[in-house]
Amino acid sequence: MAGRDSHPQQQAGDRPDFQRLVDLHYASLFRFALSLTRSESDAGDLVQGTFLTWATKGHQLIEAAKVKAWLFTTLHRRFLERERHTTRFPHVELAGVGEELPVIDPDLIHRLDGRAVVELLARLEPEFRSPVALFYLEDYAYREIAAILEIPLGTVKSRIARGLARLRILVRDSQTAPQRAGEKTS
Amino acid sequence: MTLAEARKILMLYRPGTSDADDPEMVEALRLARENGELRAWFEQHRACQTVMRRKLREMDVPVELRDRLLAAGKTIRPTFRRRRASWLAAAAAVAVLLAVAALMMRPRVPDGFADYRSRMVRTVLREYRMDIATNDMSEVRRFLAAQGAPSDYVVPAGLAGLKLTGAGALRWRSNPVAMVCFDRGTNEMVFLFVMDRTAVRDSPPAIPQVARVNKLTTASWTRDGRTYVLAGQEEADFPRKYF
Repeated sequence: MAGRDSHPQQQAGDRPDFQRLVDLHYASLFRFALSLTRSESDAGDLVQGTFLTWATKGHQLIEAAKVKAWLFTTLHRRFLERERHTTRFPHVELAGVGEELPVIDPDLIHRLDGRAVVELLARLEPEFRSPVALFYLEDYAYREIAAILEIPLGTVKSRIARGLARLRILVRDSQTAPQRAGEKTS
Repeated sequence: MTLAEARKILMLYRPGTSDADDPEMVEALRLARENGELRAWFEQHRACQTVMRRKLREMDVPVELRDRLLAAGKTIRPTFRRRRASWLAAAAAVAVLLAVAALMMRPRVPDGFADYRSRMVRTVLREYRMDIATNDMSEVRRFLAAQGAPSDYVVPAGLAGLKLTGAGALRWRSNPVAMVCFDRGTNEMVFLFVMDRTAVRDSPPAIPQVARVNKLTTASWTRDGRTYVLAGQEEADFPRKYF
């Protein structure tokens, strides 16, 4: 297992070289990508594509302090492009998702392994999946998540709330269908 | 603040982040401290959030990924802005002047309405993409406005019965175009294109004009300074039924 991303703060003007950039961010980018795609191979490709984009266009970014957010935005854009190619007419019934958070026992989540949690997260529609993944994986403020995903602040909050509710329902339901969610049986 | 409102706000709480600085969050947290029912719910919610967060942050990262990234990075390295020599700037200025001159001397490309309509039809017949997928028209309008595309369009009454699926922000000869997509219920799409009427020299009249363009049937009209094109596959009474 690779080491955890330490989330260091970069100073404006202190632009890291490529290797340092990879060392700083590849793990957190990979986890974000995996939570979006649930495929290690696809997640790896997304991360690689993101760094290659940086290698060719990163010089356009004036503020070095925003490198990490830039990488997350780029990865998310690549993911959306990929989704658009695989789903020609994506559609989300936003109105059909309630914001009421079902009450579940934290032990239900305890019993799931990390892979199963990723599987459940990946069952959310992409519109919910991306903000919820950033909500859990990173400590960005909501306005920063909005900037990364390029959607309004209110939409971010609404989608996270709805996504969390959906995720809770999926966790609860996974207990009745453990083979689908990959729940530990021992 | 009611308990229900506090619960909705507390749903988004993450310990150790700037969330707690939000005035609404401060108020909701205060309510949670004072109200036993809300406090119990919030404690359980936090416990769930903590476990979920830890599970996701513990995901393994393939060790070989780092090596693969660094190997790829060796072939393409970032280039940073450097101060250009003055002769480079002069050469760039000459190049721009030549390009502008070439542009001005080229044969004028017609900017008639038929060209625009034909282009929009070809766009949806080929592979295209929606930039936003939603059934919320307000969200579509906000998105289009943010992209500089027309967002104050009037949707024909007949389209209100169809399912909105999303929208795209297109451009035609530098002019922003709004593409709003509807599903007729049979996975057959109907597209509404909206552009400023001044973008074409011969915008259609106010009464919808029906024409077959390529494989699609279209209706075109102008209203309140906007040029509209409705396009979809052949259907009985299409597109009159939508007006």
